[in-house]
Amino acid sequence: MTDPSDRLKELQEAGLRAIYAAANESDLLDAKGKYFGKKGAVSEILKTVAYLPSEEKKRIGTAANEARGALESAFDARLEEIREKERLAKEGSGLLDVTLPGRAPAIGHRHPISRTLFEIVSVFQRLGFSVRCGPEIEKDYYNFEALNIPKDHPARDMQDTFYMDWPGMDLVLRTHTSPIQIRTMEAMRPPVRIIAPGAVYRCDSDVTHSPMFHQVEGFAVDRSVTMADLKGLLTEFCGMMFGSGLPLRFRPSFFPFTEPSAEVDIRCVICRGAGCRVCKDSGWLEILGCGMIDPSVFGFVGYDPEEYTGFAFGMGVERIAMLRHGINDIRLFFENDIRFISQF
Amino acid sequence: MKILYSWIKEFVDTRLSAADIQDALTMAGVEVSSCRFLGEGMDNVVVAKILSQRQHPNADKLSLCRVTDGSQEYAIVCGARNMKQGDIVALARTGAKLPNGMEIKKAKIRGESSEGMLCSEMELGLSEESAGIIILPPGTEVGKPLSDAIGLADWLLDVEITPNRGDCLSVLGVAREVAAITGEKVVMPPATVTEGGGPPAEDLAAVDVTDADLCPRYSARVISDVTIAPSPDWMQRRLSLCGVRPINNIVDITNYLLLELGQPMHAFDLDRLAGRKIDVKRSGVPRTYVTLDGAAREILPEMLLIWDGDGPVAVAGVMGGQNTEVLPTTTRVLFESAHFAPASIRWTSRRLGLSTESSYRFERGVDPGGTMYAADRAVSLLSRFASFSVASGTFDIGGGRDFTRSVPFRPARASRILGMECPGQECEGVFGRLGFSVRREGEASWTVGVPPHRFDIEREIDLVEEVARITGYDRIPTTYPESAAPDFSPDDRFVRVVEDASEFLKGQGFTQAINFSFVPEKEWGKHASLLGFDAADAMRLSNPISDDTTMMRPHLLMGLLHNVSSNLRRFQEDIRLFETGKAFGKSLAAGHFEEPRIGFALYGKRLPENWSGGQSAVDFFDAKATASSLLDFLMTKPVHYVPTVSKPFLAQGRAAEIIMDGEIVGWVGAVRRELSSALEIPGTVYYGEIRMEAALGDRRPAAQFKAVPKFPPVVRDFACVLSGQVPVGDVLAMVSGLSEEIESATVFDVYEGEKIEKGSKSVAFRVKIQPFDRTLTDAEVNSIHTKIVKILENRFGGKIRTS
Repeated sequence: MTDPSDRLKELQEAGLRAIYAAANESDLLDAKGKYFGKKGAVSEILKTVAYLPSEEKKRIGTAANEARGALESAFDARLEEIREKERLAKEGSGLLDVTLPGRAPAIGHRHPISRTLFEIVSVFQRLGFSVRCGPEIEKDYYNFEALNIPKDHPARDMQDTFYMDWPGMDLVLRTHTSPIQIRTMEAMRPPVRIIAPGAVYRCDSDVTHSPMFHQVEGFAVDRSVTMADLKGLLTEFCGMMFGSGLPLRFRPSFFPFTEPSAEVDIRCVICRGAGCRVCKDSGWLEILGCGMIDPSVFGFVGYDPEEYTGFAFGMGVERIAMLRHGINDIRLFFENDIRFISQF
Repeated sequence: MKILYSWIKEFVDTRLSAADIQDALTMAGVEVSSCRFLGEGMDNVVVAKILSQRQHPNADKLSLCRVTDGSQEYAIVCGARNMKQGDIVALARTGAKLPNGMEIKKAKIRGESSEGMLCSEMELGLSEESAGIIILPPGTEVGKPLSDAIGLADWLLDVEITPNRGDCLSVLGVAREVAAITGEKVVMPPATVTEGGGPPAEDLAAVDVTDADLCPRYSARVISDVTIAPSPDWMQRRLSLCGVRPINNIVDITNYLLLELGQPMHAFDLDRLAGRKIDVKRSGVPRTYVTLDGAAREILPEMLLIWDGDGPVAVAGVMGGQNTEVLPTTTRVLFESAHFAPASIRWTSRRLGLSTESSYRFERGVDPGGTMYAADRAVSLLSRFASFSVASGTFDIGGGRDFTRSVPFRPARASRILGMECPGQECEGVFGRLGFSVRREGEASWTVGVPPHRFDIEREIDLVEEVARITGYDRIPTTYPESAAPDFSPDDRFVRVVEDASEFLKGQGFTQAINFSFVPEKEWGKHASLLGFDAADAMRLSNPISDDTTMMRPHLLMGLLHNVSSNLRRFQEDIRLFETGKAFGKSLAAGHFEEPRIGFALYGKRLPENWSGGQSAVDFFDAKATASSLLDFLMTKPVHYVPTVSKPFLAQGRAAEIIMDGEIVGWVGAVRRELSSALEIPGTVYYGEIRMEAALGDRRPAAQFKAVPKFPPVVRDFACVLSGQVPVGDVLAMVSGLSEEIESATVFDVYEGEKIEKGSKSVAFRVKIQPFDRTLTDAEVNSIHTKIVKILENRFGGKIRTS
C-alpha cells in the first residue's frame, strides 16, 4: 500500500487539474465533490487519520489539511473566475461605450458681457473695493452737473445723451457709471473705495458703438491717495485681465470730473505693437479712462479737497470683451443668437 | 483737425520729425491719430502736358487725350471735362499706386487704350473733394515728379483735441505744445501792416459793441480797392489739405487765419453794410434770419447778432449772412476779428442746430488777447498776393485790457496729488516752457500768470495737470493705495447673488441673453392688454435712436420672447434663455422705479436630443421647477405658488404667482398663444420672471442645528381620489404641518382619466414620518395615519383608494 501522504499529493494534483479544467460552475462542483467535498477522496483520507498511529496521525493529518486547503483556495479562485466569465457572457460584451453622451440637460452659456463684467468686478473686490450700483434712469444733476459738466459746456458733446420724456423731471439715461461716485460720496465719508458696474446708454450706433453698453467705474478717496497709486492699481488690473507683463502707457486726456486725467493704453493684443487694423497702426489699444477726482466734484459732495484726494477710473466692458475674444462687431452682443453666445 | 507739419515748422523750428511730433503730442495729451506723408503714392505721378484732346468715339462723357511727360507720349482716356489742349496736368503712369489705393494699369476703356490717368486732387489725397483734374500753373516743368513740383515733402497730421483745449485748435496752438514739450521757442509770423494814404478807418466805418458782456473784444481792419480773385496755389493747397474749400482771396484769408491762429474771422463787404456801421448786440426779439448757407434761421431774443445800420448781418461767432457776404464785385472789406463769450456761442449754436468751424472754436475759447494781431496778420498776409490799400487806424473795442489770469500754485500740492516729488525748479521750468509767468510768494506758495489763450487753466489743479503732462506721465511712479477699512454693502451681496443665479441657470441649461432696456412702444401698444401695459406708466425717451427704442421696458418678457423667435429662425429647436436686467415704470411714490429682475424662457424638449429616449416637451412644471430650484439655490425664504389671473401675458389656468410673505416676488407660466403667435413662435413658450430685490430682501435665517435622527423613519403611502379643483399644494402643506414628526409629504403619482370619475384626480402621496427620540410603535404610526386619512377625507373631500 502506498503511503497516504503520496496519495494525498496525487489527489491534490489531480484535484487542481480538475479545478483548472472546470469550464463552468457545475464541473467545478463535481471536482469539489470528487476530491475535497464531504465525500471526496481527501476527506475520506482525513476521516482515516483518527485510526492511525499517533506519530502518523500528525504527519498525515497535516498533509491532508494542507491538500484540502490548497484545493479550497484554488476552488474559490476558479469559482470567482467562472462567475465573472458567466456574468460577462450574460451581459454581452459587458463593456460600456463610455464615449456615448451622458444623460442630463445640456449646460447653458453665460453671456460674454456678463462674464467679463463680473470678472472685472471680482478683480477689484479682491483689491479691497466694495460694490455700489445705481439707477440707470438718472437725474441730470448726478449724471452731469455734479460731475463738473454744466449745461452748455462743450464736454456734454462727448456723450450723446438720451433724455427721458418727462417734463420737469430732468431725467436722462445715465451716459456713464460715474453718477455712482456722487451718490456714494453723498452717502458716506472717506475712506471710500468703490467699484460700480452697470448698463449705460448713449445715442450712438455702429460697429463699435451700441446705444446700450456696460461700464465699470471705480474710485477711491482718502487722505493720501495719489496718481502714482492709480497707476499702480491699474497696472495690476491690466496684468490680471490681459496677462502680466503686457506693456501699458498712461497718456494725458480730458474728463470733466478728473484732473489730471489719463487714458490707459495697452500694447495691442492683436499685433503686439507691430501695427494692425484694430489698433489703427498705433500699436496701442485704449482701454480705460482715469484721473484724479476733480476738486470741484468734491465741492458738490462736501468733501474738503485740501483734506482728501481721490482717483477714479472707468472702462467699457464691451470693448474689453471684444478685445479679449476678437469680436469685431459690438451689435453681436445684443442679438442674443445662441450660436454666438454659446461660443463663450 | 488736419494740420501740416510744414505749417507747424513756420511757428516753431523744431528738431522733431513729423513722426516724433505725433508721438510727443500724443503723450502730452494732444492725440495725433494719424500722420500721413503726402509724397506717399506719388511715385510715377509726374507733371505732363496735354498735346491734344478729342471726344471718345464710344462714350459721350469721356475724352481721349495725348499727353507728354517730356520724354514719351501717352494715350489717356479721361472722364474729367475741365482740361484743354496745352494744360499742365498730373499724370499717373502705369505702375503708380495712388494714396486712395487705386493702381494704375494699362487698360482698354470702351475700345480705346489708356496708358495712365490724369489725376484729381482727391485721387492724390490732396483734398477731400474735387471737381475735376488738377490743372497746374502754366510754367510748371513737364516731366518733374509731381511731389517736387508742388512741394509734397510734407506730412498731414490728424489731431484730436479734447474739449478743454480750444487753444490747440490751430497751427499756432499745436506749435505752442510742441515748443512746451521740447523747450524750443515759438516765433510769431510777421503781421506788419502798411497803412495807405486814403481816408482813415474811422471815416470809412463805425464799430460799436452794445452787449459787451457777450463780446469782450471786437477788433477790425478795413481795406479798399481790392480785387476779388483766387488765392495763390500754395494757400489753396493748404486749405484743401486741411479740409477747407478755397473760394476767393478774401474768404480764403479768413479761413487760413482760422486754421493758423484759431481766430475765426469774418469778411464783410463794407459797401453792403448799411450806414457802413457795425454793432454787436442781442437780437432782442425772435426773428428769422437767412445765413450764408441759404437757410432761414429762427433767432431767439438772447442770441448775439452783428448788426449794420438796418438790421442783422451775421449770427455772431456762428455764421455770416447772405446780405453782406463778399461778392466778386466787392472792393472794400471789413475784417472782423472778435472774442465772443463761449457759453453764449455754444448755446446759440446748439439752439440753431448749426455748428461751424467758427462756433466750434468760439465755444471752446478764442484768445481775447490775439484778435488784433489776427486782423493785422490777415491784412499783412493778403498783401503778399493782392493789391489794396489799408485804411489807417484800427477798431479795437475792449482792446488794451490785460486778459492774463493769476492762478495760485503750491509745488507741495502737486507732489501730494501726483505721488512724486515735484521740485519747485522743475515746476517753474514747465511753466516757463508753457509761457506762464511765476511770482513766488515764498517757496511754498506761488502766483502763476496764465496767458489768456489757456481757457482751461483757472485753478491750482489745472496747473498740477500741466506739471504732470509736460513732465510726462511716464515719470510718475507706480505705488499702491494704502489699505482702507473694509466696507461691505448690500450691493456686494447683490452682485454676487446675480452671479450665482446666472451660474445656476447656466447649469440648468439656460443661455444668458442681454437685451436693450429700451423697447418699441409701438409693439407694446399693439399688444397692450395682453402685456398688461398701461401707456400712462411708460417711461419714454424724448430722443430715441430708432422706433425700436422708444421706451424703457416694463418687464423682461418681450425681449426673451423675441430671442426665442429669432433663435427658432436660426435653426435652434430647444431653447432655454435667461436674462438679468431691470424693468422700469412710473410709480406713484417714487416718481419712477427700476427693478432688477431675472426672466427665463423655456421652449421645445425637456432634454436635448439623446440616445436613451425621453423626448417629452417642456411644460409648466419645468418652468415652475426652474423658479423654485433657483430660489432654493439662492436660499430665499419659502414661497408658495397661487394660480394667477393678473398676468395677462400668461395663459389663464396655466400660470402662477410666486408668493413670499404675502408679497408677489415673481410669476411663472405658459405664455399666451396670441403673443407667441404674433412673434411667429409655433409652440408654447414657458416663462418665469423673478423680482430679485423682493425675493432676496430677507434671506432665510441661519439654519439651527437639530440632532440627526438615530431612529428609523416610517414611510406610508396614500392613494386618494380628489376633486380636480383641490390644489394638491394645499394638501401637502396641511399634511406636512400635521405633526413635527412628519418629515416630508410628497406626491409620487397623479392620474386623471377613464378609470376614475370625470372631474376628479387620483393622487398618490408618500409621507415620511421621522421620530426624534424613539422607535415609533405601530399604534403611534396608525394614529398619524388615521389623522392624515381624516384630513384627506374631511378637509379635502377625498376618497381613499385601497388597492
